[in-house]
Amino acid sequence: MTLGYVLLQNLRRNPLRSGLTMVAFALPMAVFVVGISLVLALQQVSKANEAELRLAVQNRIALVNALPERLRREIEALDPDKRRIVAVCGFRWFGGRVPNTKSGIQSLGADPDTFPIVYRELRWTDEEEQSWKRDRRAAVVGSNVAAQYGWNVGDRVTLESTVPPYLSLEFVIVKITDATGRVNGMYLRRDYFEESRAERGFRNPGCNVFWLRCTSIEAMREMQTLIDEHFANSPNETRTMDENAFAASFTEALGNLPGLMQGIALVVVFIVALVAGNTMMMSFRERTRELAVFKAIGFSNRRVFGVVLSESVMLAVVGAAAGILPTAAVLGAIGVRMVGFLPITSLTVSPTAIVIAMCIALSVGVAAGLVPAWQAIRLNTVSALRRVG
Amino acid sequence: MALPIRYHWRNLLVRRTTSALTILVVTAVVGTLTWILGFFLALQSSLSVAGDAHKLLIIQRGTTSETNSAISPEEFNRLAQLAGVARDPESGEPLISPELYWQTQLPRLRDGGATRANVALRGVTLRAFEVHRNIRLLGERFSVGEPQVIVGRAAAAQFAGLAVGDVIRIGVGESREFRVVGHFDAGGGPMESEIWMYLPAMQSAYLRNGYSSVSVRLEDPASAPAAIEQVRSAPIELSAEREADYWRNQTSNVRFYQAVCFVLVAIMSLAAAFALANTMYASVAGRAREIAMLRTIGYRPHHILLGFVMESVLLSLIGGLLGCVACAAYLELVGSTKDMFGSSTFTTMAFDIRLTPLLVGWSLASVAVIGVIGALPPAWRAARTHVLTALREP
Repeated sequence: MTLGYVLLQNLRRNPLRSGLTMVAFALPMAVFVVGISLVLALQQVSKANEAELRLAVQNRIALVNALPERLRREIEALDPDKRRIVAVCGFRWFGGRVPNTKSGIQSLGADPDTFPIVYRELRWTDEEEQSWKRDRRAAVVGSNVAAQYGWNVGDRVTLESTVPPYLSLEFVIVKITDATGRVNGMYLRRDYFEESRAERGFRNPGCNVFWLRCTSIEAMREMQTLIDEHFANSPNETRTMDENAFAASFTEALGNLPGLMQGIALVVVFIVALVAGNTMMMSFRERTRELAVFKAIGFSNRRVFGVVLSESVMLAVVGAAAGILPTAAVLGAIGVRMVGFLPITSLTVSPTAIVIAMCIALSVGVAAGLVPAWQAIRLNTVSALRRVG
Repeated sequence: MALPIRYHWRNLLVRRTTSALTILVVTAVVGTLTWILGFFLALQSSLSVAGDAHKLLIIQRGTTSETNSAISPEEFNRLAQLAGVARDPESGEPLISPELYWQTQLPRLRDGGATRANVALRGVTLRAFEVHRNIRLLGERFSVGEPQVIVGRAAAAQFAGLAVGDVIRIGVGESREFRVVGHFDAGGGPMESEIWMYLPAMQSAYLRNGYSSVSVRLEDPASAPAAIEQVRSAPIELSAEREADYWRNQTSNVRFYQAVCFVLVAIMSLAAAFALANTMYASVAGRAREIAMLRTIGYRPHHILLGFVMESVLLSLIGGLLGCVACAAYLELVGSTKDMFGSSTFTTMAFDIRLTPLLVGWSLASVAVIGVIGALPPAWRAARTHVLTALREP
């Protein structure tokens, strides 16, 4: 009589209970794996951002107050021998939308000369970089946006800006990028944008944010204080921060979905632990006599302990797998596209999330089985056998 | 005669551990459910307050929010021809309020200033207080001659430096100092997250001579479609929206998150129903003889069915109440303030998650439904217990 056989018989003895427990286990684990995937994806984005060594310089009062474009030269002049700064790129909010649609696209005008350097992670081919620099109407589009509107490289698209002077401009898509964190964005050339503004009488070229690529973390920290000190007490006071600090204010302003997901994931772990514990307790109580028989016919304590514990673990692992795998498959198949400000392509379950979820299921299984298994060892064989019911 | 409540209560007590574990499952689910429900209810109620049917919001064509709208004085003057506008009973002047809208970033109090929120600044004339009827001053109003501002209640509660007497710096290059002289209440609406000041003072601080938007009070809400059409066509050529529609559009970005959260909570609730069913099945199985006894002394099958459903509902309601208490404790300890971007204003709407009777009612109602769903199959089995067989069992 192998352990596997005993396990299988035990699970089959009360199929209703095993089934209910597994479902009660599977559903929260499905929720868990989705939540943790989202959190992991965002962590990946922020880790990727960190590696790019970028600093954002914005107006100290508010992002909407544009800084004059000449500040780029002043920032560059703070590091004349280019020891700390690789390049500076100014961005202005275009706030574009496809005509006759309600939802906007996160679209920004970028300085054409330094954009490919500061956003090196977009992995430019020579050809793409040349067409970006050659054509004033060039635009780089995130893969999510391109998929949403059915755009391809070479397409001409017209966008209406929702900020004064409400330009309507035509762009040529030169590159579609799926770089981490850039999939929901669109970048156009600021020179083209500013010229069109000037034609409408808006002669105040400026940037909402300057992005700097630095040479090292130390250089970043140095530049951060240097820039803010330099512009202090000037009409254009700045606030300089790293990319993740910049992103954090948006996350917070969107109701902190990642935090919410983390909270839900924690609650779920708590729930499945209770469900598993409950079942193991009930099933142990019903089988006290049987375990006593095992011991009476010479099963070692270790073996009895193993029987009870592995039943709990098996229930937890099978239940978790029953929740996680279908969820991963379904989400992978339908692909819920993430729109809006979160820099994520789609709601999918990542392999890391599956591993984490299975590990948690395993430990919950062990934890839930420990108390009954311990009780099984300490079971007084004689009195348990004598007990009725 | 139905089974007495005391009988069920005792049954739950007899299976102490199992009952407690099941209750805790429900507690966890309901606590989460209540928080999420509270979050979206608070946002919803803040927006529904904003929906004054008499008000129209006029912004520039081609834009979607006040933040990005610019209206020139000439365009504003053309609005004088708009028909159906309410008038001031004394002076007979039309209730049209030109407004300037901009923003400043202020530290959030809840994270000690680690992140900053975009807080809206609104320049208004005194007419605004007649157009926006739900504004109630708590203290002084800004005077037209002094650099003073008044601050919405929600903004004052959530962002730093907005107490009465504080000074905030605004304008191009933060050049002007304005003193906070009072707070105001907007019935919980999004305007409570704003800072208001005298329009000409704000125009001069930002070197602007135009406006961002115009709010209009209509005599009759029914004339809104006609007025919207008139604003759209020549010679006015601007864009008008009912106030409620405008604010609803500002939350379009959270709809998706809302949907995701509700799906997750629904799945968790279903899991709670399964956990309850599991417990109840075990309870039914362990009490076969007892049920048979009850049948022999005259209880009918439907009494038994009802009894088990009640037992499960009792179990889940205790869990539900504990869940609400847990949620209240969380809000008390961790904080209940939240704020959220408008999808195109980029200014924040601050609100407070509160455990209102409505919210508690919703949570308990849903948990009762979970209890019933979880109990029905085992209760059905209990009701069909075969009396003789069950009594014969050891």
